[in-house]
Amino acid sequence: MINLLKIEWLKIKGYTGFILLGSFFVLGVGASNYIVFLFKRNVLDKVQASKILLGGSPFDFDMVWKTVSYYSSYFLMLPALLIVILISNEFNYKTHRQNIIDGWSRFEFLKVKIAMALIFALACTLVVVITALIFGATSGSSFSLNGFENIGYFLLKAFTYNMVAILISLLTKKSGVAIALFFIYTIFENGVSLMLFFLAVKLKKDSNIDWGNLGNYLPMNASDGLLTSPFEQFSGIARNILPSDFNSVVFPLALGYLILFYFWSRRKMMRSDL
Amino acid sequence: MAVLSINNLTKNYRKVKALDNVSFSVPPKTVFGILGPNGSGKTTLLGIVMDVIKASGGTYSWAGNGLAPNDVRKTIGTLLETPNFYHYLSAEKNLKIAAMIKGRGEGDIEKVLKMVNLYDRRTSKFNTYSLGMKQRLAIASALLGDPDILVFDEPTNGLDPAGIAEIRELIKELYKAGKTIIMASHILDEVEKVCTHVAIIQKGVLKTVGSVAELMNTGGVDTVTNVLIEISAADKNAVKNILQQYDGVLSITETENDLQLICAESVTGEAINRMCFEKGIVLNKLNVKRKSLETRFLEITGKQSDK
Repeated sequence: MINLLKIEWLKIKGYTGFILLGSFFVLGVGASNYIVFLFKRNVLDKVQASKILLGGSPFDFDMVWKTVSYYSSYFLMLPALLIVILISNEFNYKTHRQNIIDGWSRFEFLKVKIAMALIFALACTLVVVITALIFGATSGSSFSLNGFENIGYFLLKAFTYNMVAILISLLTKKSGVAIALFFIYTIFENGVSLMLFFLAVKLKKDSNIDWGNLGNYLPMNASDGLLTSPFEQFSGIARNILPSDFNSVVFPLALGYLILFYFWSRRKMMRSDL
Repeated sequence: MAVLSINNLTKNYRKVKALDNVSFSVPPKTVFGILGPNGSGKTTLLGIVMDVIKASGGTYSWAGNGLAPNDVRKTIGTLLETPNFYHYLSAEKNLKIAAMIKGRGEGDIEKVLKMVNLYDRRTSKFNTYSLGMKQRLAIASALLGDPDILVFDEPTNGLDPAGIAEIRELIKELYKAGKTIIMASHILDEVEKVCTHVAIIQKGVLKTVGSVAELMNTGGVDTVTNVLIEISAADKNAVKNILQQYDGVLSITETENDLQLICAESVTGEAINRMCFEKGIVLNKLNVKRKSLETRFLEITGKQSDK
């Protein structure tokens, strides 16, 4: 595997898109959290009622893990987009064929792409951990690992996005189509998820049936749903009308979707003409 | 033992049969040409044996001393269809990737770049290369690690006449060095000049296979004829009438400018010339050709283009 990764690194280290999208991710994570930080300090902190409603600061330990994970997760489209571009490039240049002609097995080609997806997810998670430590340290609160599970949820979400990117790239084989499909599917699923959320709210309100947020049972939203807004946590006002967070269901479901993406990608790679 | 054995390979693309029960073996230390018109299934066949296309039926096996299929491919130098490289990387870096996949050191890179005259452009990005340079880089990549088996699909694609001649010489040198070369081409002249063996494929069907010498001298009309004579005279009809009475002339085909005679091996140009002259006809063209692969190919596949 180390040798496969070395080869993969040779392919991407000189690629401008890798440097650009990687930089955008780091900047995006830092900037988005800083904007929330400024908003909280300059706006919310000056409104007396917000202190009562929100309680502590979202950038204090333990909340900082959740806050930074949540806002940073909006930028997970970037590494996923990079993966779509990198795999589609292989199809455009037909280098996926050449890699196999030169001696990789089809499975090795897929295996190293999945390994890269995991490494990208881990690298993004590391950026989030460092960002959370910086904001946590500047907030003046004492260090705590409570709430660190949110970092795990971030990693799961990052890996899920990257696996969806691999699957879509393998299915479409064309960069333009893959990028468009990735965004269209993400928007479509979010739309459906929102409708299912309203349905879940209505069910709870009208019939007192609480099946949790139904939108969180969809493939990409399963990992999305594990990361919730820190302000939602503070307020608690809407708790009574919102469906419960059944994380014990959503978490294994999110893992299940990952396994599904893996087997679907594997089937496509192993069986089709390249 | 055969380098490559193909047994009843079949490939269907929906209703189209790209390959139909193709079977043959490639003997070691030969230049084995796979010849066929465009779209005849040559690249599909090579794609299947290199595991980038899945066969609908049949099997193939490489002589690999028990190696796993992908490890066998590491020992084969292959150029399939088009040069496939990372456009944003230099020639050198592209070859480094290929060498690493093949499990070879980087020591060969300089040597193979010099062999195909690309050493001076080794640091240029692939997307700055001309079509011919891309093709030469693909050949360089195939030569990495000095493989005993080489697979070339249309190796002279995009090359200028000097480049074509260089590649032909290279293939001949590799053959002399004891390598086995499997080469797909639709260019008859190319196959005739470098191949020792040939398989002719048309519309996915194997028409014939064997050594080039065997192919020229066996099968159909060729068991008794192997001389093609082209003649021309002012009155082509008169010549035709005279020659139709001559036993050694087996068929006469009239083309736009001349008559093509397929004759028994014993017939000479001198005899044809004398016969016409004695009948008062002066020929203005007399060209005795040995049976070319082109003639044989057209006899086997028919003159109609597959297109």
